[in-house]
Amino acid sequence: MSTWGNLTLAGLTAGGMYAVFALCFVTLFRTAGVLNLAVGDFAMLGALGSDYVLETYHTGFAAAIAISLVAIAVFSYAYDRVVLRPALEGRRSTETIVVIFFFTFALSFFIEGVGKNLFGVDVRSPPPLWPGPALSFWGLHLEKAGALVMILAAVCGIAFAAYLRFSLRGKALSACGQDTFGARVVGIRQSQYRAGMFTAMAVLAAIFGIVISPITGFVYTTGGTLGLFGLIGAAFAAFNRPGRAVIVGLAIGLAESYLGEFSTQYQDTLLYGALVAIILIRPQILGINPIRAA
Amino acid sequence: MAVSSPGSERGPGAAGAGDTALAVRDLQVAYGEFIAVERATFSVKTGHCVAMIGPNGNGKSSIATAVAGLIASRGRVELFGELAPRGDAVWAVKRGLILVPERRRLFPQMTVHDNILLGCYGWTQSLRRAQRDATTEEAIALFPELRSRLKQIAGTLSGGQQQMTALARGLAARPKALIIDEPCLGLAEVVARRVYAALAELKRQGRTVILIEENPVRALEICDEVIRVERGIAYEASKPSAPGRGGASQAATL
Repeated sequence: MSTWGNLTLAGLTAGGMYAVFALCFVTLFRTAGVLNLAVGDFAMLGALGSDYVLETYHTGFAAAIAISLVAIAVFSYAYDRVVLRPALEGRRSTETIVVIFFFTFALSFFIEGVGKNLFGVDVRSPPPLWPGPALSFWGLHLEKAGALVMILAAVCGIAFAAYLRFSLRGKALSACGQDTFGARVVGIRQSQYRAGMFTAMAVLAAIFGIVISPITGFVYTTGGTLGLFGLIGAAFAAFNRPGRAVIVGLAIGLAESYLGEFSTQYQDTLLYGALVAIILIRPQILGINPIRAA
Repeated sequence: MAVSSPGSERGPGAAGAGDTALAVRDLQVAYGEFIAVERATFSVKTGHCVAMIGPNGNGKSSIATAVAGLIASRGRVELFGELAPRGDAVWAVKRGLILVPERRRLFPQMTVHDNILLGCYGWTQSLRRAQRDATTEEAIALFPELRSRLKQIAGTLSGGQQQMTALARGLAARPKALIIDEPCLGLAEVVARRVYAALAELKRQGRTVILIEENPVRALEICDEVIRVERGIAYEASKPSAPGRGGASQAATL
């Protein structure tokens, strides 16, 4: 019983982060048609960046976190202004998902390259935000970093839902996703929301990276895997259902944890196999309407 | 040219009635190689209700969206004496030029109320202010049919109800000038009559309205002046040649 309980807690920890990443994908795609494939890399950048600043400049942990988050915010905002904005709004408009896909794919590789040069290839992590032994209750064990991830994911989810529901800016954000032209008709400047969301998502991912990295440690390529699970969560939510994206993210985390109990060697293979099977059985889940022969 | 309409009550959009609300000079709109609007030159005075009529595909909607800053264009657009920056829809909305676009362009997964509240976005970004402001209530009051449907998802409304929601959203924006593009497109005659009754009320309030219509008979029921659009050329607003408000004879000449 306690084994399954611990697996569930571990799954919810990872799933909480996948859920937030999936939410990032869906929100940014709904708002501006941008698939940010670098979201996981920002998590890596937050974790290893704060560790790097701390070790290199001996700033103190809080200052190291602040410096890395500000640097990520400035970089991601500049990327939107310099790359995404001209691509989406420039004279030679390239408003295709494929082009934007490649722009953020390139960003992902760029960040990994910077990460490799700056942080090296070893597994590293910043100090835990909540140090000390794992929490124990009812025979279960939960890493404090895992508890922080779950709390942070819940707080972010509730805050975001409240923002969408109880503020006009939040409703305007939803409006951008439902009818871009209609949003412009009422005076919503979509580019502001896109830049704001792109930056906020990067900072949020970085915060999650800082929180969770003490559990497993990060290397410069870790972000790619994290982002991939977020992308899968968003895809299973057809890139337009934030609630479902969160549920799928959590489900992936749980499945990954349970499958690891059976086979650590084939854990990922089994997980991807299950995901492919779901798509084959129910392709509509991706927003695809299969054409059936008469 | 634009003349004042006797009997019009001064209303929300009628401040400084008789002044030029909108002046368009040599407007040109192209989609790639295709020139949709070759030359549009016209003006609309404050408090006037002007019909923009012409056959389908002759550039009426392109003129409307270009004037509202929603598509790229060349030429000069002045709004209440201020030169409009090209392609800046937010600028136009903030100065009170509101487009109620063809096919409504509502937010289909939001409630009717949220759609109307988003009309306020140009002048406030506070939900509380938008909810409490009299403008929002007045916009809803024009369409009592919507009151019982405020919590309904907009995408599930009938075409007529969607058009009323789009008009209410436009009115919630505190418009100084409204451009209403094909409000009766695809609507049954009885519903179109209801929409036109609301437009007549807007005219009675003294609002500045540019009504884009394919059907001149219908448009001239409420409009004082006509801007003709033919093959991408818009001609200066003129009074209907036939006396009175009936549009049939004028329509025949068009």
